[in-house]
Amino acid sequence: MGTVFSFDIACDGGPRVRSAIEAAVASLHTADAVFSTYRPDSQLSRLARGEVDLARCDADVAEVLRLCERARERTDGWFSAGYAGGLDPTGLVKGWAVERAARMISEAGARGVCVNGGGDIQLLGEPEPGQPWRVGIAHPLRPGELATVVEGADELAVATSGTAERGCHVLDPRSGRPPVDAAASVTVLARSLADADAWATAAFAMGTRARHWLDAQAGVEGFAVTADGGTWRTTRFDRVSAVRCS
Amino acid sequence: MTTTYDGRAVRRHAAPPLRARRSPAPLILALVHLGAAGVLALWWTGTSSVVGTDGWLVGAGRIAGLLTGYTCAVLVALMARVPALERGVGSDRVARWHAMAGRWTVSLLAVHAGCVLLGYAMQDHSSLVHETLNVVLHYPDMLKGTLGAVILVAVGLLSARAVRRRVAYETWYYLHLLTYVAVFLAFFHQLSLGAQFAGNAVAQAAWYLLYGGAAGLVLWYRVLAPVRLNARHRLRVESVVREAPDVHSVLIRGERLAELGAEPGQFLRWRFLSGALRWTATPYSLSAAPRHDRLRITVKAAGGHSAALAGLRPGTRVWAEGPYGALTAGRRSRRKVLLVAGGVGITPLRALFETLPAGPGDLTLLYRARTPEDLALWGELQEIASVRGARVYSAVNGPDGRRADISAAALRTVLPDIAEHDAYLCGPPGLMEQAHAALREAGVPGRRIHHESFEL
Amino acid sequence: MLTRNPLRRTVLGAAATVSGIVLLLALKPHSAPAPALAHATAPTSPPTSSAGAPSTGAPSKGGTAPAKRTGTVTGSTVQTDYGPVQVQATFANGRITGVTALQTPSDNPRDQEIASYAVPQLTREAIAAQSAHIDAVSGASYTSAGYIQSLQSALDRAGG
Repeated sequence: MGTVFSFDIACDGGPRVRSAIEAAVASLHTADAVFSTYRPDSQLSRLARGEVDLARCDADVAEVLRLCERARERTDGWFSAGYAGGLDPTGLVKGWAVERAARMISEAGARGVCVNGGGDIQLLGEPEPGQPWRVGIAHPLRPGELATVVEGADELAVATSGTAERGCHVLDPRSGRPPVDAAASVTVLARSLADADAWATAAFAMGTRARHWLDAQAGVEGFAVTADGGTWRTTRFDRVSAVRCS
Repeated sequence: MTTTYDGRAVRRHAAPPLRARRSPAPLILALVHLGAAGVLALWWTGTSSVVGTDGWLVGAGRIAGLLTGYTCAVLVALMARVPALERGVGSDRVARWHAMAGRWTVSLLAVHAGCVLLGYAMQDHSSLVHETLNVVLHYPDMLKGTLGAVILVAVGLLSARAVRRRVAYETWYYLHLLTYVAVFLAFFHQLSLGAQFAGNAVAQAAWYLLYGGAAGLVLWYRVLAPVRLNARHRLRVESVVREAPDVHSVLIRGERLAELGAEPGQFLRWRFLSGALRWTATPYSLSAAPRHDRLRITVKAAGGHSAALAGLRPGTRVWAEGPYGALTAGRRSRRKVLLVAGGVGITPLRALFETLPAGPGDLTLLYRARTPEDLALWGELQEIASVRGARVYSAVNGPDGRRADISAAALRTVLPDIAEHDAYLCGPPGLMEQAHAALREAGVPGRRIHHESFEL
Repeated sequence: MLTRNPLRRTVLGAAATVSGIVLLLALKPHSAPAPALAHATAPTSPPTSSAGAPSTGAPSKGGTAPAKRTGTVTGSTVQTDYGPVQVQATFANGRITGVTALQTPSDNPRDQEIASYAVPQLTREAIAAQSAHIDAVSGASYTSAGYIQSLQSALDRAGG
């Protein structure tokens, strides 16, 4: 996936956690091998070309596609695994893989887990007893600055979608074109990173209406930096973010 | 105007078992309120919590917005001239509902816009002006939504009583039609921005159904039904007859009028396709029982329009919509009936006087006018009274110009068993209020006092 | 209807509507539900216990107490779709003071372009994150910033 995954783990150094970290890293490599759209030999690429059918693929493929379908339904079609005619669940797969890796480590007994997969972050537990994790949201228009900071513990996922760095990589599934009134970046908070990743992709594709849409979703909060440098946030976002940097 | 066939019919059913037709008003009101509760439930289920001042503001704005969207559809449906409303509830009452709902809609709209913008501004830590510009200019469908809101508020202000009096009826009427444009324009932002509709296919479907239903009612009852009616009945002026100073009857000939289903006591909206008259549709009651080939209205010259009717030429084409109105025999629940007419309010009561099933002595008409000459149709009324064994009393102003009061005592003198009567009232507001109060005092319960007022 | 006062009805209707709306709002919970979690207080010191590993390297042991580091740490070389990336971070007393890119992709102009702004951007970001006591940074499309996750590995090696 061309992405670096960073682990931040709070625990008392038990061997179970250590082997869970190894298993988690291995699971990320596996996910990359299975789902990469850049690798022509990945299961996903072969599935997209019709060389294999779903039954012969890894069980993970079916699960991710099922999650994609669920996300498509829950986002009213704004999230779509169809990309320029091909099959591309990347709007969700990285989040899904990171979340799975984080949960593996957490279930092995780590007090706190923070896995950052190229800017999509799954937080579990807490870094220190009674202390929340703190996640900065990079300002898409002012390099080096943070737009805001989010705090959370127990179970919090942060996913950001936007045009920064590589140009627009999210298309409006309805028009097949980049969203017309796209924000510079949209950040979504949820409990699960697989969800947050899909919501963020969908919200970015929606443009300005994302704010209202996110507001209506239970258990999801959103924050965006608009193309003109303004920001908006959903009604309860401030209850999550601790610091305003804008 | 002869009354023979109706007269015979009447005598045959001199003592029918009487049970008042139930007004659908309570049911319709209950449905409308149920719908509003459904809209609130939509907000309730789609909202997990309300946090902070901004949360309260945005929440209040959303509730108000949802209700505004709902009442807009109700407003349109109320004015669609649906027979169940116009004939069952009564046009005057529906118009009052519409006016009430209109005031409510404009107020809710103000709350909606104000609260949402303030809440957003607080959330974004920006000024209200900046936030407003941002929402109006950059949010999807909000230019349309804003324009719709501006039109709605403008029409609402124009309809406020103080302004309405100073505006010509035609001006008011045609500007009022802009409401449809406003509702149409405002519809889009409800679905594209309404937090409660995003991703909620059921709510979206319900909203489409609500608005589609209202639009369908308007299209059917305000456009297609009148076209069908006029194509079928081909109405033309037959003659114009002077009945009293400033009072004229217009006889209108048409085909297959039995299929029109008009009842005595009802009215139609008439548009005479001649000169400037063609721009106005005015409600006039049938002043005689409708016949299979002829209708009659009686009009007092109160303004330019009604005065011009006196000059109508035979053969003038007429565009009519209706019949409307609930002041019909179906409202009656007692054998004995008192009709109280004031001035030209005699017209629907004249038709009822002629046709209400009644035995001799059951029917009494009290007719008040300024002078004996103003008692239009007086000859006819006396003729009907003698044929049917009914009584007709007139009350005219005294020589000193004092009006004859209608009091409970006077009513009891004329009709000792007044409390056993149904009463039908039609006339100017002053008379209606006075007669209503006197009847209540004389022991007639409100549900047996039937009236219709055209001061909409 | 003749006896009813329209003004009173309007006032009553307005009062009922306003109280209804306020009641509805009041009946909703007034604290944020998920995902607004647990702690509202800002931490007074940066989280200390951390361990990290880029996917290209083996995970290091969790739970070690961080040293207040001064000096230079070189991150892993990260293979990206655009080419290899490696950065070097300079620390003063546990805080990043500078980041240098040792390797950036260079096989096509577009990648160079990306690298030319992505690297300084993430350098500043890393410094911002440090100064704000941030555990992680979320941003749009970190695929190219995967490069700079080499920096993250440098951070990880420096022990936070």
